[in-house]
Amino acid sequence: MSTSEPRLEVPWAEKYRPSKIAEVVNNEDAKKKYVAWINAWLRGKPQKKAALLYGPPGSGKTSIVHATAREFNWELIELNASDVRSREALRQRVSGALDTGSVFGYQGKIILLDEVDGISTREDAGGLQAILELIEKTRWPIVLTANDPWDPKLRTLRDACELIEFKKIGKRDVVKVLESICQKEKIECPKEVLSAIADNSKGDLRAAINDLQSIALGKKTLSIADLQVLGDRAEQENMFEIVRTVLTAKSPEQALSVTRLPSLDYEMLLQWLSENIPYQYEQSLQAIADAYNALSWADIMLSRMKREQQWSLLSYALELMTAGVSSSRERPPFKFVKYSFPEKIRILARQKEKFEEYRKVVREASSRLHVSTSKFRTEVQPYLQVILEEDEEEGKMILRSLGIPENKINVVFKTEEKAHS
Amino acid sequence: MVEELWVEKYRPRSLDEIVDQEEIVKRLKEFVKQKNMPHLLFAGPPGTGKTTAALALAHDLYGDYWRDNTLELNASDERGIDVIRSRIKDYARTLPLGDVPFKLVILDEADNMTGDAQQALRRTMELFSKNTRFILIANYASKIIEPIQSRCAVFRFQPLPKGDAFSRLKWIAKNEGITVDEQALEAIWEESQGDLRKAINTLQAASAISKNVTEEVVYAALGRVKPREVKEMIESALRGDIIGARDKLRVLLYNYGLSGIDIIRYIHREVLSQKSIKLDEATLADLLVLVAEANYRIVEGSDDEIQLMALLSKLAVLANKSKKG
Repeated sequence: MSTSEPRLEVPWAEKYRPSKIAEVVNNEDAKKKYVAWINAWLRGKPQKKAALLYGPPGSGKTSIVHATAREFNWELIELNASDVRSREALRQRVSGALDTGSVFGYQGKIILLDEVDGISTREDAGGLQAILELIEKTRWPIVLTANDPWDPKLRTLRDACELIEFKKIGKRDVVKVLESICQKEKIECPKEVLSAIADNSKGDLRAAINDLQSIALGKKTLSIADLQVLGDRAEQENMFEIVRTVLTAKSPEQALSVTRLPSLDYEMLLQWLSENIPYQYEQSLQAIADAYNALSWADIMLSRMKREQQWSLLSYALELMTAGVSSSRERPPFKFVKYSFPEKIRILARQKEKFEEYRKVVREASSRLHVSTSKFRTEVQPYLQVILEEDEEEGKMILRSLGIPENKINVVFKTEEKAHS
Repeated sequence: MVEELWVEKYRPRSLDEIVDQEEIVKRLKEFVKQKNMPHLLFAGPPGTGKTTAALALAHDLYGDYWRDNTLELNASDERGIDVIRSRIKDYARTLPLGDVPFKLVILDEADNMTGDAQQALRRTMELFSKNTRFILIANYASKIIEPIQSRCAVFRFQPLPKGDAFSRLKWIAKNEGITVDEQALEAIWEESQGDLRKAINTLQAASAISKNVTEEVVYAALGRVKPREVKEMIESALRGDIIGARDKLRVLLYNYGLSGIDIIRYIHREVLSQKSIKLDEATLADLLVLVAEANYRIVEGSDDEIQLMALLSKLAVLANKSKKG
């Protein structure tokens, strides 16, 4: 169960995004190329209707698009890889906006499809095809971003786009940005702390700003001691290697070797493996099934271990999730896979916020019915929805009897709109 | 006329009104007579009357003062064991009203607490045992740590027998002035099994569609209650599209907020209906064993997504063999 969290603040990486293209840090060549492309749009005839900005995380790809929207007073239509899952989803989100003119108050539009390399390799090709169609039809500039644009599956997309490379931000510039944020936030921070944060970020400005914000939480002066709360940014890189070792091990021993790493976070490894098994073993259903079977038992052993305080089960759990996963009875040929961060963890974080708002509204209703708010959502709400649709008067009366006022009905049933469309 | 949800409108208020779980009710009445009881653990599937029995017990123990003497908590909604502990502490500080020497804490969905939180709960139970009694409510007794179980009298609630569920539904229909025929009841039963809450909710939703509740009306209501992603998920898996199946599964788990058990029940019904899942390489018995095994693993394990992916990928393998075979 979660304990209460500290007050939510706007992420500084958002708060201090540049509002003009010129303010985007570094990457002068990229900016020049980008501005030329935008100017072509302003004159009405760009050679390529879309631009693909590529480069490492935190190098300013997204920021430059935000800055463009602000500078020209354009409406920014932003989509993430997860929204572009399928053609249909993409159409729903963007197509309407494409054909219509600009909304009152804006002078134009710009469409941002973030992290397109996230969709290309794995989701149905429909998503990519839909992007291509979008580029063909659009009357507004489209910007795509990617960390790695050289994925073979992105080839057709590359051909349709102006390619603009972004490079890591130099340490000096990272420090400069951090300094100016400290000034605006009225935080005192010695230069060596900022320098250490910049080092740790390895040219990822977003990561550096996030780190600064997390160590500065609730403080006005910072010292070198505060740096200890920062995890090593290398950890994630490390996880890629661990996952690769397990999923491509040539022998059980090789897979097992990762369990001897002193800092292995096995709960996290379980999630990483679960996320990436279908991609690595794509060509063999049997391998996927066997690997999941091993993970399933690993999960059971971990639960029993915790529930019954049977610590001796840990070694079995670790063996199952490493050697067990890699020793499927059918082994697909090796292929290179760019591993993903467990999507489940991301979804849960997002859902949690959404659910909080919902929870507030149905709290009273739940307690009158003696169920939890999540039970209310799954066990009561779908039935209420049917009643409300069939007989609005009766539905509203029931909602009133549960303490849900009429002006909150939307909040309750909004979260389910996907469900009963 | 004030409309409300029938599950609440027709919830038995006192132990005398509860028609099922005779053995349990008999013993609870004994506690009322003695004005004394141990800590209790009510375990059993959803919709079998655990919460109703706990509330009815409180009502019969304290009469009109039952609300003042009862603290109702839901482990899923309280923010952590510390909050639970401090709420219990505040509440246990004052003396019970009336002639019963203890106050009652009803802690619902206790099996949603982590092992650590349960350890802390156990200490709290000991600390306040002088003037409070706990009723813990859980779907699975096995998910409650041993030391707590051993401090409680454990009551196991059984799914309602079909006949009892039918007569309850008929009684409600009569009170509400609607008609419901025998096939409609069968259709409700097929979906709800022994879960009376689900059965009553289904009846009410169906009656909103038509006051003359027939089999068709019930299916119409159920079709709108059940997420369409269940079917899509199974179809993707049978096509060998594991990632597509996982996307649907994630919608069910994280957008709808369904539990792994909810989803396995849906899959179970799909298997039994022998419509969408029919494979040359697997008999009905094979499939049932797979589903039962997955059900067991969901209860034993803690990551519903992994457990269901294990099942879906097995189904994918079988479907693939059947295609080739």
